[in-house]
Amino acid sequence: MQATQIIHAYKQAPWRVQRQWVGAFLLSLIGLAMIAALYLDVTARAAVAGREIQELRFDITTTQRINADLETRLANMTSTIEMQRRALELGYRPVKPGELDYVAVPGFSLPEPEILLVAEDAPPQVLSLPAEYSQSLIEWFDERIKFGVIR
Amino acid sequence: MRQQYAIRSMILAAGLALVALAVIVQMFRIQSSEQAKVFLSQGDRYSGEFRMFYPERGEIYDRLGHLLAGNRTVYEVGVSLNEMTSPESLAHTLSTYLGLSYEEIYDKLTDSPETWEYIVVQDFVGAETVTLLQELMQDLEEKDDFHLDGLGFKPHFQRSYPETALASNVLGFVTRDGRGYFGIEEKYNDLLAGNPVQVWVPRDPNKALDIPRVPNGTTLVLTVHRDLQAKVESILDDALSNYGAQNGTIIVMDPRNGEILAMAATPRMNLNDYGNYFSLYDNGSQYNRSIGMAYEPGSVLKILTMAAALDSGTVRPDTPFLDTGSIQVGGITIQNWNRDAWGQQNMLGCLQHSLNVCLAWVSTQMGSQSFYGYMERFGLGHQTGIDLSGEAVGRLKVPGDTDWYPVDLGTNAFGQGISVTPLQMLMAASAIANEGRMVTPHVLYSMLRDGHQYNVPSQYAGSPITAETARTLSDLLAVSLEGESSQALLAGYRLAGKTGTAQIPTNYGYDSTHTNVSFVGWGPVDDPQFMVYIWLQQPSASIWSSETAAPVFSQVAEQTVIMLNIPPDSVRSQLSAK
Repeated sequence: MQATQIIHAYKQAPWRVQRQWVGAFLLSLIGLAMIAALYLDVTARAAVAGREIQELRFDITTTQRINADLETRLANMTSTIEMQRRALELGYRPVKPGELDYVAVPGFSLPEPEILLVAEDAPPQVLSLPAEYSQSLIEWFDERIKFGVIR
Repeated sequence: MRQQYAIRSMILAAGLALVALAVIVQMFRIQSSEQAKVFLSQGDRYSGEFRMFYPERGEIYDRLGHLLAGNRTVYEVGVSLNEMTSPESLAHTLSTYLGLSYEEIYDKLTDSPETWEYIVVQDFVGAETVTLLQELMQDLEEKDDFHLDGLGFKPHFQRSYPETALASNVLGFVTRDGRGYFGIEEKYNDLLAGNPVQVWVPRDPNKALDIPRVPNGTTLVLTVHRDLQAKVESILDDALSNYGAQNGTIIVMDPRNGEILAMAATPRMNLNDYGNYFSLYDNGSQYNRSIGMAYEPGSVLKILTMAAALDSGTVRPDTPFLDTGSIQVGGITIQNWNRDAWGQQNMLGCLQHSLNVCLAWVSTQMGSQSFYGYMERFGLGHQTGIDLSGEAVGRLKVPGDTDWYPVDLGTNAFGQGISVTPLQMLMAASAIANEGRMVTPHVLYSMLRDGHQYNVPSQYAGSPITAETARTLSDLLAVSLEGESSQALLAGYRLAGKTGTAQIPTNYGYDSTHTNVSFVGWGPVDDPQFMVYIWLQQPSASIWSSETAAPVFSQVAEQTVIMLNIPPDSVRSQLSAK
């Protein structure tokens, strides 16, 4: 009987009730801090990834421009006038019809103009990420509130 | 005492709660106020920008993959006014490197409206100049000198033609505003240019994925053979020089499918410097005379008259004709080119000696309805449908037209009083070279888009004559060339063709001193793989086609058989026998 009274008195001690309130408050504070930290982490990583994507896009554009420049430079260096000049410098001269020998090669056919196919890359597939991967927590809440749907 | 503290605490807490509530209420009030909407819209405005993405213009290749039209990077040089520290230094530096005046740049930088943030100093600046400027800026930055702060370079593409003037009449050109003029560049401008996309580009990196991919313009592969084109242009230039002709054009086409292998015309312009256009051409029709200028072709048209007559059964190759030197058609006397009477002839002789009187007789025997019906079916008076911009129609007068007279039936038979473009004549003659089937000439071989190649199918424009007629006439023309030991012949190859010497119509009748000379021919006769049309305007060395256009045809045929790997007839027959 006395032991029960002691336990009851212990449970109802004012300092213990206060500590429970403080504990609950601290617990909710820690919870909020964790959510905030998580939110900050996700947002920061999304921002970094977004910036990297922008930089990669810029790199792609730069590379495409360099490719186009190089292609044009190569074409300049192999233009008809340039090739004729170099051939003449090397001692070549235009051939006459009578100087040509024709040999039948079984299975050989002249190349058709399809050589450019290999030079063209297939376009990269544009990724379509769900909005959850790019939007912030606030934006997500905002969207839910606007459309009134919480999954 | 303890209760007193409790009351005070409650009052303090209530006070703080009221303050907190007031803060929250104020937050909501501010956020839902009218001013907040304005601030929000301002924020939205600066959260990104509308930007136009121009795709890279599609390239143009010849049939073997040589680049004829590509792109190169040039820069827009500008200054961010907010970052500018020394307009004097900027004006001095840019005037030195860009060749502009100091005052002009300085005024631009200092007199701009306050709302302006950026000013373009010069566009289309070459990469070499920009590299020098960038190196200078880097050197200054290393010395903590920030006098050139604000200077910026925005790269973009400009059309570039590695072959400069080669095939300029076929390609056309692109101006700085990105629009194509003439030739392929104009005809396929929409395909080449692609679709510019205007998008809202957010500054928020989280939304980087929202930027769409702008596909490049379609790349085109032409039927043109670059090396053959270069040779043909060289031959044409030599011909103009040797024979004193004002201008000229040479077309080489595959009669089996209408592919244009080479199309040379004068004058040509360096496509990288299209500002010369107005000094070279008086009007757009001169840009590519092969398709843009119609003229009276003269005797080359006799092959169409003879084709029609043979096909309609009006004559046969051995049909006799007594040439008395003149014939009356519609009350007008028609004479031969040398005004002589050539006596007893057959159709071979009529073609071989190019007798106007004989061909006028042939057309009158056919009758106007039949003759003009064939000419219509040969496509005269209609566009060929070639995929190049600026094609002329020519003129075929027919009975019923106010300016048609009965004599036209006789004169039209030998190419007078009728106007055609060189390409129209070539297309019509393709029916004779290609077993009666007339081909639609075209320049586009295929399109390359998103890694796929789409080949353009050949099109036929009808069969105005039968295959038998085509073979008979082709043989007649080959015998005709051989019989007169024409300068058009090429050793080892049997070729068919016809000369044409035409007087030039003026407002006061025909010019008796100048001519237009033409030649149409093809080969090898037993398996035609190329057709050539030549037109030289007003040669001064000789007025006769047989002495000017015919030897040019031989030169073109020689280069064509080499470039296209066409063995001599004897070798081909040996190879086919195996």
